[in-house]
Amino acid sequence: MEAFWIIAAGSLVAIPCGLLGCYLILRQMAMVGDAISHAVLPGIVIAFFISGQREPISMLLGASILGVITTFLIEFFHTKARLQTDASIGVTFTWLFALGIILISVFAGKIDLDQDCVLYGEISYVPIDLWITANGTIMGPRVMYIMGAVFIVVLLFIIIGYKELFLTTFDPKFAAASGISVALWHYLLMGAVSFTTVGAFESVGAILVVALLIVPPATAYLLTENLQKMMLITAGLGVVVSFFGYYLAAWLDGSIAGAMSLVAGVLFAAAFLFSPQEGLLTRKKRMAFATNKDS
Amino acid sequence: MSRLNVVGFTVLIWLLAACQPSPREEPSSNRPLSVVTTTGLIADAVKNIGGDSLQVQALMGPGVDPHLYKATQGDLKKLTQADVILYNGLLLEGKMGEVLEKLSRIQPVIAVGEAVDQSKLLGSPLYENAFDPHIWFDVTLWKAAVGEVGRTLQQYDSARASFYEKNMQAYQRQLDSLHQEVLEEIGKIPNEQRVLITAHDAFEYFGRAYSIEVRGLQGLSTLSEFGLKYITDLVQFIIDRNIKAVFVETSISERSIKAVVEGCRKKGHQVVIGGSLYSDAMGQAGTPEGTYLGMVRANVQTITEALK
Repeated sequence: MEAFWIIAAGSLVAIPCGLLGCYLILRQMAMVGDAISHAVLPGIVIAFFISGQREPISMLLGASILGVITTFLIEFFHTKARLQTDASIGVTFTWLFALGIILISVFAGKIDLDQDCVLYGEISYVPIDLWITANGTIMGPRVMYIMGAVFIVVLLFIIIGYKELFLTTFDPKFAAASGISVALWHYLLMGAVSFTTVGAFESVGAILVVALLIVPPATAYLLTENLQKMMLITAGLGVVVSFFGYYLAAWLDGSIAGAMSLVAGVLFAAAFLFSPQEGLLTRKKRMAFATNKDS
Repeated sequence: MSRLNVVGFTVLIWLLAACQPSPREEPSSNRPLSVVTTTGLIADAVKNIGGDSLQVQALMGPGVDPHLYKATQGDLKKLTQADVILYNGLLLEGKMGEVLEKLSRIQPVIAVGEAVDQSKLLGSPLYENAFDPHIWFDVTLWKAAVGEVGRTLQQYDSARASFYEKNMQAYQRQLDSLHQEVLEEIGKIPNEQRVLITAHDAFEYFGRAYSIEVRGLQGLSTLSEFGLKYITDLVQFIIDRNIKAVFVETSISERSIKAVVEGCRKKGHQVVIGGSLYSDAMGQAGTPEGTYLGMVRANVQTITEALK
């Protein structure tokens, strides 16, 4: 059963992360996941000061609030200060992380407190991290419920907002002209990213989430020029990565998250070399994904 | 690829994964008790009490920092197949400790560190339930944890209960004499020289039990960075007290403590790195430092030789 739960948890993380990652890549904001993974630190420290304990719920809450603040600040610096998105991401998460470090060294020197030991989960604990009710009934791995809920919310968000997300991603001017609020949909997308990544950090750890947010969509980007196909390929890749990643880790007796990220990287390399349109070895000319996506 | 294909493929892969037989064996009275521990220190206690009559495996090897430990696929197998899981608790294992605590509701999982009387634990003055987890540096506290290991083994392997009881008492007597030995050895260091400066704050219990002043560069978390002012203060402190040596730890980087040595040298005070102390992990298996008794003796020897 361990194999099943880990592969299922990996897939449940990979699919929502990958679907949101498709939009992030097209909006040139791929590193926002990595930024959130660092920027949650002050949220954890402040949550600890308020609750006085390291229990997961207040940590998760503090991290989520900081996740939303991070994405908000990135957009704020980008639109109001006319800073490039990558620079805006860099400014935001470094100073938030630094704020967290300062808070720890000034106020919490005697407490073992950092994202690694209070927030980031580890995918190998999924089968033993069970949800046990008050009367002792075992309801199965806790992560399946958390990521199952995240999965459904993200899926509904993308299905309901597909048209708006599509237009605001590829042609914000046209979207604005047809009465869609570009800023609103941006914040909704970033809110979804922040909520998904924090939930996923808590379930399977940070590096795996950052990898799943970027690498499968980037691989799919090389294979198709159609957003729907890109998202379907990303979802499929998420499952393939979880499956082969788990068995690679079992074979090597290594870190499961590491093996999954490695498989994702190998698949990307394969797409890079052999993609029908963009592959290095297939020697076809690079074609525009959507000519006006940067306008 | 149609949507249906993707869904079908996904389901197929999950089914394939689910078809693996569950490897957990039924415990039988003939099979030796299988014990899994997080740290090597706890495994050492189990070996001393259980000898060859049980199987014990530690997840964290020599030189591993338990605060940053990440489990592998094989560790998961060990945890799910173990009859008894022993961990330190008191938040030493971070996230893994949380998982184990939850698991303790349905499986024999015991935090040996939590057997120590709470009034004897060093906590933070500001927060409840946040204790210093490095209890093994005070031999009397570790003796209490060893008692918990003994009780647990007796409970889950009652056929050999008297054997475990006998070994536990013998081992606890060894710990008593070790405690006396450390008291004597540290007592040989002149009072004003009795200052232990290390990289991270793991030695508070040691300092309290054996009356040696402890200064750590980092906080309890191995992530927290040291402040510049703190280093300057520490350098001044070393010069004022004319301290001869500072110490590095086997599981932590030497970089920070070297900054202090360098700082003292610039101010014309010669301080040496007195040696490497075992803090969060023991030495290599098979060497004397690979056991708790040997590790404590090695630490005490390093400290007394450098400070006397």
